[in-house]
Order: sequence, then structure tokens, then C-alpha cells
Amino acid sequence: MSVIAPNFKLSGFIKAIINDAVWFLLIFSLIGFPLVMMVLFVIPMPVIDGELLTPFLAFTYLADPSRTLPIVQAFMTTDMFKIMAFPGFGFAALLAAGTIFLERKLLAKLQLRVGPFYCGKVEGILQLLGDGLKLISKEIIIPAKADKPIFWAAPVLFVASAAAFVALIPVAPGWVVADVDMGLLAVFAVIGFFPIVTILSAWSANSKFPFIGGIRALFQMVSFEIPLILSLLGVVMVTGTLNLSEIAASQSSFPWILFLPVGAIVFFITMLAELERIPFDLPEAESEIVAGWLTELSGMMYGLVQLGTYLKLYAFAALFVVLFLGGWNGPMVVPPFPMEIATEGIEIGPITAKIAGLPLFDQEMLNGIFWFVLKTVAVIIFILLPRGVFPRVRVDILLNLGWTKLIGLAFVNIFIALALVYAGVLGPGGLQ
Amino acid sequence: MVGEIAGNYSTVVLMFGFAVAAMAPTLLISRMISPRKKSNPVKFLPMECGQVPSGEGRTHFMMQYYPYILMFVIFDVVAIFLYAWGSSLLELPKNATLPMMGFLGIIFGAMSFALYQSGRRRIW
Repeated sequence: MSVIAPNFKLSGFIKAIINDAVWFLLIFSLIGFPLVMMVLFVIPMPVIDGELLTPFLAFTYLADPSRTLPIVQAFMTTDMFKIMAFPGFGFAALLAAGTIFLERKLLAKLQLRVGPFYCGKVEGILQLLGDGLKLISKEIIIPAKADKPIFWAAPVLFVASAAAFVALIPVAPGWVVADVDMGLLAVFAVIGFFPIVTILSAWSANSKFPFIGGIRALFQMVSFEIPLILSLLGVVMVTGTLNLSEIAASQSSFPWILFLPVGAIVFFITMLAELERIPFDLPEAESEIVAGWLTELSGMMYGLVQLGTYLKLYAFAALFVVLFLGGWNGPMVVPPFPMEIATEGIEIGPITAKIAGLPLFDQEMLNGIFWFVLKTVAVIIFILLPRGVFPRVRVDILLNLGWTKLIGLAFVNIFIALALVYAGVLGPGGLQ
Repeated sequence: MVGEIAGNYSTVVLMFGFAVAAMAPTLLISRMISPRKKSNPVKFLPMECGQVPSGEGRTHFMMQYYPYILMFVIFDVVAIFLYAWGSSLLELPKNATLPMMGFLGIIFGAMSFALYQSGRRRIW
């Protein structure tokens, strides 16, 4: 489209904006504000500085910027913050979006192209925003005779399954959405959802290409789940726990990849297969079956599936980091917080500003996040690299690889772990 | 006690619910703001590379490699059983490993027999 709006008038534009603002204020003051007050009266409020935070006090604090940090701090310990923002959805979605941009740039560099370049002036940094706007403003076309409820629900369920996977990943000591004792088994349970969602989406589309792609995805995910499960048994044997936080904490001296490299390699290959990435991208083989099980998805539905895919990629990379690369453990690089700011306040000329609630983040948490993100990004780059290098494998080669070679190697890994435990190298009385 | 253990998993369900609650509106917004052009006869046809689709979309499909699915049903459960042993290996006495070796041998033997059969007979 060459002309953005042929009948554009500035006065009309301003009028439209004012109109929208008035409607927004009206609706917010009539519905939103009472709703906020009602919610604030219902939820349990934290105790700050020895007094219970009432909704009235909360609004007073919000008006005074130097007193908002305790509220932020109290909010940061709630489950809601963990789910929405930090170790949960917001953090993972941010990393997933970064991964999409990184993949496009990296792939372009590998193939001697430029990649996204124009959107956002600097190296196409706003390309993702543009893509998102494009996807959300496109018409969603649902094929005739499709099973509509399932077809609408499948992309949302795909993102939700990926989010449930992200919920189990510990990012820093104590920073995990769901710290469960059977963490690893819960991960396997969540991974089991993806083939179901895929086959539901493929079946409901009433089209041949998605159907073939869905069946391929089912085969692939199913046949690589057993090597996946078996390759992680070695780590569980040497740590003696299924809790992911404890597994990450047990690697404070050395990562398990030093002792169990076979398991790490098998897990990495099965990870590529579960993520449907090249060389195992048979379900989306674009030169054979259009786009596989994504063929009939259009507009924002496709965008949601992409978001879910990259959330899943982040979660798998993070699982690799937690199990084999030591999670958040690493040398302390974050400088300690200057405590005199918290006790005596900041002196700016004649004024001394004393801010309550400092420090907001402790040193160990920041250090943990730094190492975790560094390792995760490194693993993500390793997952992205094969896409620029390898061709696609055939389906019988894929199944043969999964069922004979990888399962055999996973058994070898189990015996290596058993030998390490019984030789006294690891476990009680061994290293650590 | 049981409820407490199950309650630990509630945050996983909450995360699932949050993702649904956060992502469903994007589909609604997209439906609201995107243009909806008039329908024409070929618009809602399933994708078949420009051809008019022939036959049903959901047909009988020759599902090759079906036995791998059957093998998955068995060996997935078996592999999960190994976790009960693996997670308590450090507390178990050493002579408890011998029956497990027998169990691993049975799994490995069964799996290799199934794979051998799949290669020998061309019925799969």
C-alpha cells in the first residue's frame, strides 16, 4: 500500500484520539476503578513496616515514589508475580522473542544474507513488533468443515502447555514458579501434552497437509520421548532427587556434563527432535508438505503457535542448563549492593534521600540470573546453529535413529552413572 | 498431606490458566480489528497448492511405522518405572541393583526383539 490513508485529516485524527480517551476514562472510572478497589479489598494484603497495608495506604504509597519499593518487594514474593513476570511467562516470552530475532539474524549471517534490516533503523531491531502487528491485523481464515472449537483452542493450548513447562524451570535459588518434588516427572508429563495438541490441531483442520504433518509430529515426539526419558535417568541417579532446584544446586562444584557427556549428547539430539527443528523438522517440512501441521493456521493463530514453539525452545534449553550445565551456579560477578545507601540514604548536594526497601534484589539472585541466562542463550544458539548447516533427515532414518542408536546410548549413560556411583566417584562419600 | 503435595502443583495449573487468559484475547482482538472481506467460493477451501481439493480432508491414512506407537505405550511406562529406582539409588543397598539389572536386561531384550521383528517382516 503506497498511501497510508488517502483521506487523512489532522483534525479528524485528533478528534478520534480525544473521543477514544474520553471513552477510556469513562469506562475506567465506572468499571475499572471500582473493580480495582474490590479486588484490593478481597486479596490478602502484605504487612509493610509493621502495619497492615490497607487499600487506602497502598494508594498513598503509590503516590509517594520513595515509599513504593516495599510494595514492589511485597508483590515480588507473590505467586502472581512469579507466574506473570519473572521466572514465569513474561521472562520466558521476552527470551523467546529475543530468540526469534537472534535466529533470523544468525541464520542470515550463516547464509551470507543481511536479515531483518529496515524496521527500527538499527539492524531491524523492531522487526518482531512489526511482525506482531502484521499477524494481529490479518484475517483469520478457518477452512470449511473444520472442527471450529478445537481449531480455535489448539494454538492457545499449545502456548499454555509451553507455559506450564516454563513454570517448572528454576531460574535462580528460590526463583521458580512451581517448586515440586517430582519436578522432572512433571516435565515429562507436560511434554506429553504437545503431541496431543498437535494432533488435535491437525485433525480439526480438515485438510490433508496438516493431517500428514500432525501424524509425523506424533511419531517424532513419541519415538523420541523414550530416549529423552532414559537419557536423564543418569542425572537422577547421581543426585538422588527429582526436584529440579535440588539438581541445579547439587552442581555447585562441577556440572554433570563432565561426568555424563553421553547423556547430554543424547538429550540434546532428542531435544532437537522434540522441538521439530532441523535436521528433524519433518512435521513442518516446507518443501514436502507446505508447512506441515501449521498449513491452515493463519494470522494470529500462527503467531501464537510460533510463540509457543519458542517458549518451548527456551524451556528445553533451560532444562538442559539446569540438568547438565549447572543451572544458576557460577563465579560471583555481580558487585555487592552498597549498604550505606540503604542505611544512611543517598546524599545529593544538600538533600539526603532515604529510600525504604533497598536493596530490591539480592546479590545471589542477580548472579544466578546472569549465569542462567548466559548459559541458556549459549544452548539456544547451539540449538539454532544446525538450521543453517544440516539437511532434513528421512522419516525412517529418524525413527531408526531414535529407537536403536539413541536408546542404546541412553542405556550406556545409565551404566556410566551406575559405575560412577558404585566406584565412589559421585554420591555419598564421593566428590562435592 | 496428599492435598498439600497436590497443592504444590497448583502453580503449574495457574500458569497454564494464565497463558490461556493472556493469549485468548489476542485471538479476539485479531478477530475484531482484522478486515473480513466478503466470502468467495474458494476462500475457505482447504489448502491444496492451488488445486480444488479432492476427497475428504480426514480420510483413512496409511499410518506406517504404527508398531513404534505400540512399542512406545509399553516402553514409556517401563522407562518411568526406572525413575523410582534411579531416584532412590543412593539410599538402596547395593544388592538391590542385581534385580534391576535383570529388569534392564528384559527391557533391552524385548526392545531389540521388537526392533528385529520390525526389520525382518515387512508387515509394519
